[in-house]
Amino acid sequence: MKAPAVDYIRPRSLTEAVDLLAHASVEARVIAGGQSLVAMMNLRVASPGLLIDIARLPELLTVTNYSDAVTLGACVTHAAIEDGRVADPSHGLMPRVASTLAYRAIRTRGTIGGSLALSDPAAEWPAVLAALDAEVVLYGSSGRRSLKCTEFTTGIFQTRLAQNEIIESARVPKLSADAGCGYVKLCRKSGEFASALAVVVTDPRRGYCRVVSGAANGAPLVLADTSRLVAEGPCDPGALRGTISGDLDRASDRHFDDFERNLHTVAAMRAVKQVLV
Amino acid sequence: MPNDQYGIGASLLRKEDARHLHGRGQFVADIKLPGTMDVGFVRSPHAHARIRSISVPPEARGRVFTGSDLPRIKPIRITSQSSGAKAPAWPPLATDKARYVGEAIAVCVAPSRGEAEDLANSVAVEFEVLDAVVDAPRDMRGSRHLIHEQWGDNLYIERVVEGGDIEAAARAAEVTVTRQFRMQRQSGAPLEGRAVLACRDHRLDEVVVYSSTQTPHTLRVALGEFLDIEARRIRVVAPDVGGGFGPKARLYPEEIILAALALELDHPVRWVEDRGEHLLTAAHTRDHHYKVTAYADRQGRILGVDSEIVVDAGAYGLWPQGPYQEAAMAARNLPGPYTIANYRARHYTVATNKAPLGPYRGVGRPGACFAIERIVDEVAWAVGRDPVVVRAENMVRSEEMPFTTVGGMRLDNGDYPQSVRLCAELLDLPGVRARQQKGEPDGRLIGVGFAAFAEQTAHGAAEFVARGAAIIPGFESCTARILPDGSVVLMVGIQSHGQGLETTLSQITAHELGIDPARISVRHGDTESTAFGFGTFASRSMVMSGGAVARASRLLRDKLCRIGAHLLQCDPAQVRCGEGAVLGPQGSVSIAEIARVAHLRMDGLPPGVDPLLDATATYEPAIGTGVFSYATHGAVVAVDPETGFIQLLDFAVAEDCGTMVNPMIVEGQIRGGVVQGIGTALYEEIPYDESGQPLAGTLADYLMPGAAELPAIKIGHLHTPAAATEYGMKGMGEGGAVAPPAAIANAVRDALAALGAPVGAEVNETPITPRRVLAAIRTARETAAKA
Amino acid sequence: MTGIHLHINGAAIVDDVPPRLSLADFVRERRNLTGTHLGCEHGVCGACTVLVDGEPGRSCLVLAVACDGRSVETIEGFAGDPVLAALRRTFHQHHALQCGYCTPAMLITARDLILRKRAGSEREIRDGLAGNICRCTGYTNIVTAIAEAAQEIGKEAANAQ
Repeated sequence: MKAPAVDYIRPRSLTEAVDLLAHASVEARVIAGGQSLVAMMNLRVASPGLLIDIARLPELLTVTNYSDAVTLGACVTHAAIEDGRVADPSHGLMPRVASTLAYRAIRTRGTIGGSLALSDPAAEWPAVLAALDAEVVLYGSSGRRSLKCTEFTTGIFQTRLAQNEIIESARVPKLSADAGCGYVKLCRKSGEFASALAVVVTDPRRGYCRVVSGAANGAPLVLADTSRLVAEGPCDPGALRGTISGDLDRASDRHFDDFERNLHTVAAMRAVKQVLV
Repeated sequence: MPNDQYGIGASLLRKEDARHLHGRGQFVADIKLPGTMDVGFVRSPHAHARIRSISVPPEARGRVFTGSDLPRIKPIRITSQSSGAKAPAWPPLATDKARYVGEAIAVCVAPSRGEAEDLANSVAVEFEVLDAVVDAPRDMRGSRHLIHEQWGDNLYIERVVEGGDIEAAARAAEVTVTRQFRMQRQSGAPLEGRAVLACRDHRLDEVVVYSSTQTPHTLRVALGEFLDIEARRIRVVAPDVGGGFGPKARLYPEEIILAALALELDHPVRWVEDRGEHLLTAAHTRDHHYKVTAYADRQGRILGVDSEIVVDAGAYGLWPQGPYQEAAMAARNLPGPYTIANYRARHYTVATNKAPLGPYRGVGRPGACFAIERIVDEVAWAVGRDPVVVRAENMVRSEEMPFTTVGGMRLDNGDYPQSVRLCAELLDLPGVRARQQKGEPDGRLIGVGFAAFAEQTAHGAAEFVARGAAIIPGFESCTARILPDGSVVLMVGIQSHGQGLETTLSQITAHELGIDPARISVRHGDTESTAFGFGTFASRSMVMSGGAVARASRLLRDKLCRIGAHLLQCDPAQVRCGEGAVLGPQGSVSIAEIARVAHLRMDGLPPGVDPLLDATATYEPAIGTGVFSYATHGAVVAVDPETGFIQLLDFAVAEDCGTMVNPMIVEGQIRGGVVQGIGTALYEEIPYDESGQPLAGTLADYLMPGAAELPAIKIGHLHTPAAATEYGMKGMGEGGAVAPPAAIANAVRDALAALGAPVGAEVNETPITPRRVLAAIRTARETAAKA
Repeated sequence: MTGIHLHINGAAIVDDVPPRLSLADFVRERRNLTGTHLGCEHGVCGACTVLVDGEPGRSCLVLAVACDGRSVETIEGFAGDPVLAALRRTFHQHHALQCGYCTPAMLITARDLILRKRAGSEREIRDGLAGNICRCTGYTNIVTAIAEAAQEIGKEAANAQ
């Protein structure tokens, strides 16, 4: 199908973009890489009245390397992360994840901010950033605010992004030199959306350990008991499996059938194994 | 000898490549005609509904057309010659009832496709939704709902194929194996979808229809019939076609509608379907249900096979042949390349509220191969012997040929057991077994599986008549023309859409006339400039069109030799064609010179010889029952027993298609077919829900194999030339797609044999998805626990 | 309608386009560059792949208006490009195309793999082709052709140094 009619404007600053968003008389959406939004428009499941093009805003392309974190501008592309062209706070986890995301021709335009804003349940960044304890920085007409990624995505395509807000950046804490990461993406065809994702980040020096399930029929799911168990070090596989299952079953905001529960359990087991071996 | 470089057997590089490598191919959507308007359709969102009213907003009048606005369009009708076959009249634009999701109800015309879709969205259709028929085996007698009320049931046709005495075989059996098999519905999904561009040519008083079709001449016949226009006033052009594979070898309502619009509006109109439309309404394919019982002795010698085959054929039959061939072909091919003497196949072609079913690479054979090759393996498991050995023992041996199988296939020649051995060699079977024994460090299970088949190709008129076909594609044609400067044009009725026939057909003329293929043009796809032919499908083009090219070329050769001999002042018996000339005992004269004489200097012609160098010939093979290429496919898989995910580690084909005109192109066809077969085996499926809604609308749901999922496809060749065709060629284009589902399913069976032993886990349904694998493992474990 | 200025295959282009027009439809319908093909329009099949500012992109998912100020290359460009020339040779020699519909995009993707040094092994090439569907060839010959072109280009680069 062809996209429905739409208006288009490219503001020259973030403030101007937010202003346009606030005062639009039609349904206005920001567009960055457009890799999800234009596909949705081509399928006529999205029909915004106005597109506000933020892809080239310098404020959203800035990458800052702090001593304890890296902030990645919302419009940093997956390819830039994959190629290591931007500072990496995650000791290779984020470039590795980026390389499994869709296809290169999508990655050259799709952005990390776009992925967070959409929060497709099967998307990689919401789960990975939740595992890294990242924050998303939002900019709106009333100024700037930060939210933990784990609080930002609330459900399937649902976030705490307000109507007149734009994601400005993701702030990712830097991992210690001896931190460990595990990442498992289960899918049948290279580049497709995951059937199950599991991300494990363990940073003992910071007393941090988190296991997250993605593509999990809702917002990324922090496996709390599993995270505590993995923090203690190598564990009995049976105990690990049981703890993972327990975490999955306790997620009251979603339902898994037997196949899905098994797949997420296996993914999490294997991601943990990458870290604890 | 020049012929080694570019004649029969040369892997001549393709002439087609030049334009495509530079993006200068010309597909329908690339053709620009001034004043063209784009078209979009209003399509039914319901699988089964009465149409109560269609409301077109006032501002859209004159740009939206319903069936009643285009009265020149007659309903599509199929005239099957099979008694008892039912054929519903199919109005291209539905007026009373919609019978599948996506059925066209109105057509909208606008300056761009996007605007045409906007128009379509503004049209309001009032429906009375009816229950949908979606379960072919359950609903074929119509106990719930009738799709075509006047039928009394939901059966297009039912038949029995039988031979020998199946009851006797059942009594004599020492081993009986019964299974159900299922091949899910899918799409042919060529990368270029369907497209039609139609306009009036006032100078020639014609309607010109460009269509991405495999069958331009028969499309012209259809347009004439359903628009009531003489054929001389219709021109059909199939330009470059981006893949066909069968779905583009059938008439579509959209083709008739676009032609009618061009006549009505007198400006060019264009329809370029999008992927969603294709998955929704282009021919659906496969969708077979099998119940099979094999009776065998304790060595695994199969005494008889009894089966029921149900094909879910959708709401209408596709012109010209309708849906009848699919189940019949499955029934006739289910005995496979085996000497099974006792057989029964009851087959049913069922109407459902789904998009119409059409042919797709292999047609009924991938399903039949899946069923028989799985059953052969299960017989082997039941008797405790190696499936490779049991398979070969049941095969027809070359000294028994010609051998007519109990399904009615007259197998001509070949060494089937040798193909099994060669395939095992290509996969290094002992090495795979050793790896299996050793076990994988990651816990995955290795399995290897084989599947064999014989592919009937280049069958003639008698065969099609026996099938009750509406039209009989039993010949092909060629007009071969040498132009005044000696360059050559071959005008053929087939339609090359990736098979390289612009190259291979010129190789045949090069062989006959000794002319460099670089001086030969092959014209196909345009009814204006080619002799009547049936198009490209059914693995027929190389044999049938090649045969016609050979005959026409020989007619030219004879005339060239007569004129050449006259110019050389010797006897015609003393000359021959070669090296671009006619060669005599004391000299030669170039074909260019002969051509000049034949056109511009007729004073040089011998008495009794007319000017021009123009010959038209038709060809039908000497044997009407076809020539059979054959192959054994082998797959090595790694199955993850925790997740059900499958990785294809290796795939090999050991095949025999007789004389190969261009081995490079033959191998390309094999590999392409194999990957489509892998798609059927592991990925492709259009599921339907209870209300008849198809659940795969984009390529995010409809998965097609990509390079990352696949190994390199290995190929080995045997060479048994056909006795009954030119040069000993056999057709082979479809074979690659026939066996992969069976080979892969057998490999999975092999991999999972240890789980739930002694029963073992089987997946008897395609695509073999992780869910189905895990379900099979669970079932096998539960069965073993109970035992 | 929105005014845009961009470069296509090195030529400066000025036009007025409806914002909903994709880059693919812009080059095909307004610039008569029909070598870029459409196979799905939702970003999966890859037939529409072009270069935008030197990087491969899905022209079906890029709006023409978003290309204002950018540089686009389609298969009709690449004049004198040695990597594409090598690929055209090896694709032809190894029968890496049949119907030709996926070919322009396949060439552009392959060129990018070679330039980013991601065509060093069969595994790498296959992974790099994940976003380009071919329905005709079964991919074997495409992989062979790309591997050979990559080696050729690699040797030339080594010789040049």
